[in-house]
Amino acid sequence: MKEKSPSAKEVLIKGALIHNPILIQCAGLCPVVAAATSLKNAALLAAAVSLTTIFTCVFASALLKKIQRWIRMGIYLILGTAVIFPLIFLLESQSKSELSLVLKIFLPLIAVNSATAVHCEQFSVKNTVKLAFYDAVAVSIGSSAVLLICGAVREIIGYSSIAGHRLNIPTTFRSAALPFGCFIILGFLAAILKWISAYRYPNLVADSETIVRVKPKKDEIKDTVEVEVFDEFWNEEPEEAPLEIDEYDEIFDSLDNIFDFSGEEDEK
Amino acid sequence: MKIAYDLLLTALYAVFVQNMVMSFGLGSSEAIRASSKPGRFISLAAMISGFSVATSVICKLIDMFISSIGFSYAVRVAIYGGVLAGVYFVSAFFAIVLFKASKRTMGTLGISALNTLVLAVPFINNTASYSFADSIGSGIGSGIAFVLAAALINRGARRLAENKDIPAVFKGTPAMFIYVGILSLAFSGFADSTLFS
Repeated sequence: MKEKSPSAKEVLIKGALIHNPILIQCAGLCPVVAAATSLKNAALLAAAVSLTTIFTCVFASALLKKIQRWIRMGIYLILGTAVIFPLIFLLESQSKSELSLVLKIFLPLIAVNSATAVHCEQFSVKNTVKLAFYDAVAVSIGSSAVLLICGAVREIIGYSSIAGHRLNIPTTFRSAALPFGCFIILGFLAAILKWISAYRYPNLVADSETIVRVKPKKDEIKDTVEVEVFDEFWNEEPEEAPLEIDEYDEIFDSLDNIFDFSGEEDEK
Repeated sequence: MKIAYDLLLTALYAVFVQNMVMSFGLGSSEAIRASSKPGRFISLAAMISGFSVATSVICKLIDMFISSIGFSYAVRVAIYGGVLAGVYFVSAFFAIVLFKASKRTMGTLGISALNTLVLAVPFINNTASYSFADSIGSGIGSGIAFVLAAALINRGARRLAENKDIPAVFKGTPAMFIYVGILSLAFSGFADSTLFS
């Protein structure tokens, strides 16, 4: 049954905020945690993540709908590499010295960014190219915002500078530049995002009941999150024909609780 | 004997001293997701180690060839990505044709290949100028490091799920991030990191 398509605004808000790929879905953490240690690095990574996500999601929606899932997974890897290769080539040709560690090790890893694969599988291959593009843009905005905030905060706290300009902070907390520091920052950012989402977009949050549960108690967040991560990516998806579903919520409604530690193993 | 010693030492280094998941954040998304599926730990460790070792060895052989030619680093990136994709397709093909692999196994295979940890290993081997034995050791170590991280997250996540004192906005992912951060801090101690300056 084909229901009404979500508006572009709704897709953007849900993709960037309500289901933020990094803070809510725990996808694509590696570039943020490992490499976004300064604003400059974060901007570079954000550009690479956005390019890869938009290109791969649109390609998947346009051409990969009828291909088996296990083949699609390999194609995502090839597409990611195809986007990253010219980017590194460009940076390498413009750089006078040897590439930094971030460019040498962590930038190429965006080719296997799980946020891209998750959204291709969950949304792009089940929707029109137009909606897949909107979703990819939303994911890019959501990921880039987190990368830039984390990069800026870590540079200020860890190195007492911002975008390379020195700040007069007497004590620097070097661990902010370590993965440990980033995970703590992500924890607080995720909490802030949940709070904002619940107050600013209560209807959208309530619609996505399997993702974020909000009791309808006025002006009070209660029993908020039970589920926050795409689980379908992990579970065995039946190899069915491409779905005709255009309704965003129906896809998210099919998600299970990744943090379900009730002792039940995967369904067989 | 020396080869076995190097292999074991690098594997132990990759698991404990520089745990790639906790110390570098490599594959951390997948480790958090995998943490709720302890039944998959062994297959994930085997597949991640298998992919890492196969990709590392092939990339090492290619490195020996292209280093004498002097290709740009971008070409190396394309080759490493292509090698991982090739290893994945060959493994998946054999898994389907020879072993009639279930959808669950195929799903785990895809997640293992599409993992930053696996692709990072050949880059780390190259940057650190690892030998063949070291490359195999770091490949094996990456799989074990992944499962160690996932198991540690699993134990903490159970406690977090039971804890009723966590404020509502911190329940779920925020609390999980902070817990993983504290775990990561512990591993930073092994790596002798400086916290203040």
